[in-house]
Amino acid sequence: MNMFWHELNSLRKSTILWTCTLIALAGIYFSVYPAIANDAADFKRLLGGYPASVRAILGISLDSITSLLGFYSMIFTFITLCGAIQAMNLGVSILSKETRERTADFLLVKPVSRWAIVSSKLLAALTMLIITNVIYYAAASILATMVKTADFSITLLFMINLTLLFIQLIFFSVGAAVAVIIPKLKSVLPVSLGVVFGFFFIGALLATGENDAARFLSPFKYFNPSYIIRNSNYEAPYLITGAVIVIIATVTAYIIYARKDIHAVS
Amino acid sequence: MNVFLRELKANKKALIIWSVCMFLGVLSGMGKYTAYSAGGQYNKIFENIPYSIKALLGMGSFDVTTMSGYFAMLFLYIEIAAAIHAVLLGAGIIAKEERDKTTEFLMIKPVSRDTIITSKLLAAFVNVVILNIVTLVSSLVMVAAYNKGNDISSEIVMFMLSMFIIQLIFLSLGTALSAFLKNPKTSGSLAAGILFAAFVISKITDITDKLNALNLLSPFKYFSYVHLAEGNGLDLTAVILSLGLVSIFCISTYIFYRKRDLHV
Repeated sequence: MNMFWHELNSLRKSTILWTCTLIALAGIYFSVYPAIANDAADFKRLLGGYPASVRAILGISLDSITSLLGFYSMIFTFITLCGAIQAMNLGVSILSKETRERTADFLLVKPVSRWAIVSSKLLAALTMLIITNVIYYAAASILATMVKTADFSITLLFMINLTLLFIQLIFFSVGAAVAVIIPKLKSVLPVSLGVVFGFFFIGALLATGENDAARFLSPFKYFNPSYIIRNSNYEAPYLITGAVIVIIATVTAYIIYARKDIHAVS
Repeated sequence: MNVFLRELKANKKALIIWSVCMFLGVLSGMGKYTAYSAGGQYNKIFENIPYSIKALLGMGSFDVTTMSGYFAMLFLYIEIAAAIHAVLLGAGIIAKEERDKTTEFLMIKPVSRDTIITSKLLAAFVNVVILNIVTLVSSLVMVAAYNKGNDISSEIVMFMLSMFIIQLIFLSLGTALSAFLKNPKTSGSLAAGILFAAFVISKITDITDKLNALNLLSPFKYFSYVHLAEGNGLDLTAVILSLGLVSIFCISTYIFYRKRDLHV
């Protein structure tokens, strides 16, 4: 239990910083929403004059863009990017902290099993991620209500924000697995930024289209906000893939950390 | 000289990985061009989308059906990757000593701190140049492979020049922060945070015209990509001011590192 509280305490400052960043991001984007809503209303009128096939190409996505939730789906990409960086950072740093800060022999001579150590760390990080998400959801709801031009469904907003938690869980577990696999991790940031931005670009450039096999390549594309808005449901294959990734990565982290040679002073 | 060669060798693996990733990035980006240049009704639609919505979709004020407009849209992603590389390189190359506990070894050597910083900065500079050239060559090759319209090689060179300046800005920012902060390990995160903030600001000023004063804070907005895409060169005042910013950061690196209490 000590380890859990200790890790929680050491993650405190970073979590506060990240939560504020996420809220600030959402706040800035929401503040420009009224201008967009005006433009979009004009554009929708213009779109009415185009033939149906043309509207099909762009109209579907633009019909919902004008709504608050549609706009939110667009800006949510950046929010998930930021959240993924936080989660990946958390995952990679929390299991490699001892090796990097040379406190390995202090922790590992204590009469606790390595399983207990990993559990406490992962639980502490998970708690922080959930806290971040809860506070962010509250702030986003308030911001959305402040700038709305028409009523929107709070449930749908909740479902979209839940995908932030899912993506964070995926990146967190992948980060934890990466941390235990790499023998000597000197610096967290290049690894976490590289992986997150790598997946982000793969998602932005390769995985487009509704039912593409390529969508499996990038966790950012597992949850499509427009699909969620239309169907009030997540897409099952991607949800399952995400869960599988989290489970496999977490189990990997446990098993490898239990057997790993950890250097007291590297 | 030793320090310079040693730093080059130490960064070799990272540079190779980054160059390959850049090449793949340009490749995959160009691969999507065929979808955008389908032509016909697509063009008319793109013309009529209101500015703010286009910015939201990432297209800004470019005409993405032409190669130069599409490249301008793709370029932002490439630029971010290059900027991240520069920032992490700059912050890391100075913080490396204290992180790996090799400070004492290096400082005992009969070279002044200034010489050490110069060699490190030069090594980082060479890395940045190499990455830039790799991106330039991949862009030229890929654009030629997919291009159906006019030749835009000179525009690409201009784009890469602007990217080079952005890389220098972030490189020197990374080194200055790393030399200044008490805990050099956090310099990487802070510099990356500043980069991310600059990126977000550039996206936001894309969406709305009213916050144009914020453009000052985002190096990504120092050069107008619309101008570059149309074939007008780099804005000379922006170039001079950026180089001035780079020199301020470099000089700060020297000053702070000279006075710094190094933790052994």
